[in-house]
Amino acid sequence: MPKQIPWWLGGIAMSLLFYFSFSIYGANRPIGASTGMAYISSILFGMDADNYSYIAEIQKSGAWEAVMLVGVFFGGLFISLFITKSFHISYIPTLWKERKNNSVKSRMIWSFIAGFMLMFGARLAGGCNAGHILSGGSQLAMSGIVFAIFALGTGVITGRFFYKKKVCKND
Amino acid sequence: MIDRIINTFHIASNEGHGSLFVILIIGFFFGAIIMYSRLDKFEKMAGFMIFEDTLVPRMAMVTVALSSIGFYFLVQYDYGTFAIKPLILGGVIAGAIMFGIGLVILGKCPSAFFVSVSEGRVDAFVGVLGGMVGSAVFTFLYPSIQGFMGENLGDLRLVSFFEGNELLVTFVFSGVLLLTAYLLPTIEYRDPADDNKE
Repeated sequence: MPKQIPWWLGGIAMSLLFYFSFSIYGANRPIGASTGMAYISSILFGMDADNYSYIAEIQKSGAWEAVMLVGVFFGGLFISLFITKSFHISYIPTLWKERKNNSVKSRMIWSFIAGFMLMFGARLAGGCNAGHILSGGSQLAMSGIVFAIFALGTGVITGRFFYKKKVCKND
Repeated sequence: MIDRIINTFHIASNEGHGSLFVILIIGFFFGAIIMYSRLDKFEKMAGFMIFEDTLVPRMAMVTVALSSIGFYFLVQYDYGTFAIKPLILGGVIAGAIMFGIGLVILGKCPSAFFVSVSEGRVDAFVGVLGGMVGSAVFTFLYPSIQGFMGENLGDLRLVSFFEGNELLVTFVFSGVLLLTAYLLPTIEYRDPADDNKE
């Protein structure tokens, strides 16, 4: 089995899954992930719908996505154990070492901050990559298109300042 | 907490959006495709924004291009319904900016978090913890933030501006994305960490 599928096959597979989820034969709704994250967070921190208006608003959609995320975890685990065989405990991505630093502490602190910003931002915007860019874009939703432009634009600008310049390899 | 977890499955299965089995299967394949295309890797997601890899934009463009046409016909023949998120300009732009900064630093999106954790990446797990705290803070502050999110411009779609030409606009949108994905150069960051193992 190949260890990775090419971009076009990934795109085709993903859109087939999107058709299934979107159609009445599947779930009759598009895929989203960050509302599920917010829902799981509310369970962990004991925030319920009676006391927090936000949880009352997202409860239904959040529970659906939380269950889906359970599936996501096992889907990833299955592939990493049996197909890509890439499962192993790791702390710092290779590219981070190359363009940032070798410090586990630094990577962990930045991961926490970045995770915080990602989710706070996703909640503020009402969606993330999945809900806004992929599902929103597929429905030609203006909210998704505006989100994509600002999120990716900011990402590129931040990346320029946050990481070191690319080192030219002479090999 | 146990009650809430059990209740989660209860709510999800009674929402009218598929049985628990269907939801879990959708998630399973979603996670599997993300992992098999390596979309979850820092080198792919952050890498694309620092011009080290072009897999993410190409795959995303193909997904959106094919799905937009598929969704159009599914809705046209009553096999599906659009679920458009409202355009609340202030919230969407401010949120997107925070999201973009987080995305390039962490190098994973909220679904890829879980996929990366399932591959044993500790930094992704720490990112999930940060995300959990971020969500909780948002939930706590929501009543006071709500007022600042700006005007709700409604469930606008690109085709709303071209009434009567919905199908044509969808095809042009899809075609432009497919062409862009095709024309983007193949840049692939080769991660030595992937080569060493069998």
